[in-house]
Amino acid sequence: MTGATTQGLWQHPAPPITRMNLRYIDWIWHVRDSVPLPAGQSASEALDRIEPMLDQMDTTHERVGETITFTRKAPVPQDPLSTFEDGVLTIADTAQGKSLRYHLVSKALLFCFLLPVLFIGFGQLTLAVGEYQMAQAEAKKKAESKDKAKVQDSKKKDEAKVLELNPIDKMLGAPAPEKPKKDKDAERKPSATAAYVFSALFALLYVVGRFLEPWLVRRRFRARLTDA
Amino acid sequence: MAGVRVGNRIIGAESPVTVGWENLPKVEGGPFKRFFFTWFQPVTFFALLAFWYYAPNDIAKASTAIGIGIGFKVLLLVLEWVNPRYKSWQLTWKELVTDLFYVGLGYTVLRMVDGFIGDGVIIGWIQGQWNLDKFSWFTGLPLLLQAFLISFIFDFGQYWMHRGMHNWHPLWLTHAPHHFVTQLNINKGAVGNPVELFLIGLGIGGFFDFLPRAFLLAGTFGLTVSIYQHINVRFNTPNWWRFLFNTIEHHSVHHSRDYEATRSNYSGTWIIIDRMFGTCVDGEAEILGIEGGRRMSIRETMHYPFTQGWQAIKDKFGKRGGFAAPESAVPAE
Repeated sequence: MTGATTQGLWQHPAPPITRMNLRYIDWIWHVRDSVPLPAGQSASEALDRIEPMLDQMDTTHERVGETITFTRKAPVPQDPLSTFEDGVLTIADTAQGKSLRYHLVSKALLFCFLLPVLFIGFGQLTLAVGEYQMAQAEAKKKAESKDKAKVQDSKKKDEAKVLELNPIDKMLGAPAPEKPKKDKDAERKPSATAAYVFSALFALLYVVGRFLEPWLVRRRFRARLTDA
Repeated sequence: MAGVRVGNRIIGAESPVTVGWENLPKVEGGPFKRFFFTWFQPVTFFALLAFWYYAPNDIAKASTAIGIGIGFKVLLLVLEWVNPRYKSWQLTWKELVTDLFYVGLGYTVLRMVDGFIGDGVIIGWIQGQWNLDKFSWFTGLPLLLQAFLISFIFDFGQYWMHRGMHNWHPLWLTHAPHHFVTQLNINKGAVGNPVELFLIGLGIGGFFDFLPRAFLLAGTFGLTVSIYQHINVRFNTPNWWRFLFNTIEHHSVHHSRDYEATRSNYSGTWIIIDRMFGTCVDGEAEILGIEGGRRMSIRETMHYPFTQGWQAIKDKFGKRGGFAAPESAVPAE
């Protein structure tokens, strides 16, 4: 039963050692927070207001007493809780009154947290592959240098062609083309810059998402509970 | 839903599609906003063409093009925020991360793979086998004509590859993940299975020689025309533009949840190619996707062509016998 799986996150803790270890890092993709209920609002009324938010495609949700559990595989972007795949929402009595306590789990946050590492890996792979290609090219060049005919042939190819503009372009004032540069080795040099830029971008996006998404969820829950 | 007859087809019988330019909404707001979103597309298009045409050689290079490309995309993301076409398409944090993951793949791993088996390598191999040099027929032509040829030749190939993807099951399996998107924005062009992204990037332009500046000019068609096919911005696009170029309106019809509508508007830049072959539908749609609009996860996107392909083979050659395409892969076939 899907509801029971998510309920386990909230109500049935794992054995102490495992649970304790995970608690140190699960803030990366878990969000735990609460929103106070408006004065006079009953638990049932509050959950009646929240439950329609979960009437989404691919979502299974179950209400037992004062608790709602939900789960889904891949929520669509139009879903108001699209960042979170699993969650438990319950009404708790506190010293300040009743409040909606929630525990949401986001694979998207975890994925984004891990992406910088993946892209650093892509960068390293790019460098390794580039070096391999350069070694191959060097070996080929050496082999060819032994063959005089091929050397002459490649020299002919290397001779820069004289490129000319069409008279119309000359008349309109477009700059004349330059001779192509002979040294193409610099172009072949492998670069991991793109991978590292994406790595930094995902690190930044994770920080933004870790603050933005809980804030948005809190705002949406509060709006659902208070709106007439 | 009754749908609308377009040629021999009924468009919009399964999901809402607005057909005909006269039925589309205009940009709403004050005079500045309407002016800006009416003139933005043609002004940036001609300004960038003029820039690449006249830029000195030390500026007219690939690194400048990359810088302009990034800056322009950031600007378009801001425009999506300011004047969205549909609220339901508005970018969320999760969608941005997902989209950028695919964009990042394109800039890193896919580029690396392309260096081994891409069209440049294939063409180089063919040229080596037949001792062919590049065909330099076009280098003497006017620059803008060369730029048009680069863009049009590539798009012509892309049109048939894309159309093939919608008509031949093995190719469709690579393309299907791209049709699971339920909203469009400028990065959505990168969303899809890597095999599809590789196939759609194949072109025969490498056989021909062009002036380097012509490539930069041709890049303008990509940056200021085809980028709009996935943008979530309401523009008052001029009619001449809509006649020549692919637009978000055309492409939203292609991504619609209406099966018949998905079989239209295959080109990437030049919608006139669709007009030539009778596959153009002028209109727009908001409700997108297939299989009822479910979202496809990144993991499923990566394995879908292989698992569905394997399923199709089992269905055809398995014990039961007889070919039956997997139900989930049928809609846009």
